[in-house]
Amino acid sequence: MTQQQTIPKKKGASIVHYKAELRRAIRKNAALPEVNFLNITAMLDMMTIILVFLLKGMATSSASIPQSKDMTLPTSIITSEPAQEGTAVVISKTQILVGDDTHPVVMLPSRDSLAQSGIDARYKRNGPNDLYIVPLANALQAARQTDKQIRQAKGLDPNTSEAIVIADTTTPYRLLIEVLFTLGQSEYAKYHLMVLSGGKKP
Amino acid sequence: MAEQLSAAQRSKVRRLSQPRDVVEGEDAGELNIIPFLDIIVNVMMFVLATVAVTFTATIDSTPPSLGGRGVRAMAQSNALNLAVFVVNEGFSLKASGGNIATGCASPGPGLAVPKTGNDYDYAGLTECAKKLKEASADFKDETQVTITANPGIDYQTLIRAIDALRRSREGEDLFPDVHFGVPR
Repeated sequence: MTQQQTIPKKKGASIVHYKAELRRAIRKNAALPEVNFLNITAMLDMMTIILVFLLKGMATSSASIPQSKDMTLPTSIITSEPAQEGTAVVISKTQILVGDDTHPVVMLPSRDSLAQSGIDARYKRNGPNDLYIVPLANALQAARQTDKQIRQAKGLDPNTSEAIVIADTTTPYRLLIEVLFTLGQSEYAKYHLMVLSGGKKP
Repeated sequence: MAEQLSAAQRSKVRRLSQPRDVVEGEDAGELNIIPFLDIIVNVMMFVLATVAVTFTATIDSTPPSLGGRGVRAMAQSNALNLAVFVVNEGFSLKASGGNIATGCASPGPGLAVPKTGNDYDYAGLTECAKKLKEASADFKDETQVTITANPGIDYQTLIRAIDALRRSREGEDLFPDVHFGVPR
């Protein structure tokens, strides 16, 4: 240091003593650093990571299923991890959707009508008592072809596919069975019924 | 005797020992991301406050078959073969021995678990399933049940019935493997 080199030469302590005093004074002042601000950068870094994790998790998980008046999932006591593999079949109060296609496969009539004889006979293969829904089966077969290739590429059994059934709480059993039966006829051998977990034991 | 510093030396020591202020230019090499992080924190608070996090689960099953019997694994002849029918008046249970009478004590006519008032008796269904499972040592490993319902029964009632049959109040597994039947 240039300042240290300009040591007063006049009377007083020796240079050795002066330097010792200087070192001691520097040590003493350095030992008490003044904290005049709070460093929250590390905490903010952590929060950023949590935010990214939350957004990514919510985007990919089934928690992103929109809950609305038209679509409310039933609650269950089950707490297992939801299945992620499979073609999604959504049964809302007014329509049935397959996969990522936002165009409804079938528009549904009123609940009373559904509870009596299920979907309209014009959508069935053999009249109103049949369980096979033709437009749904067509959409499922198209999805099945894609799923078959994906399963082959992943090394899974391509002979059957899986489906995730996301149905509204008010869906009548008749409609549910028609959809499940059509799934079975379209080479979907296993399905997963999506529910909200965390319900209490009845 | 210790040497005394002169006034000039003391002054010099005081001046040189003061901690140096950080020159602003020293921090200029780093990108100041604190405003960005402030925005991120605000976004995170907003997301956490507005998004209702819901946890989902799935109940696995197989496609139904016609005639009220689901696709079942090969069951032994002395198996329970429990079938539950959700009707408008309550739960009707059938096993290999025939229809289960009210109270679940023995085979006989009637609804095994009738409604209590306007509500289904899910706790009664759990107790009935437990009683049937404990009726014989042969039924101990049986986990499959076929559920059939009236056409108008809603999905939530069905899921609650599945939950009631899944495990007992003590947490023992009863009939967690569910198959759906098609009413004739």
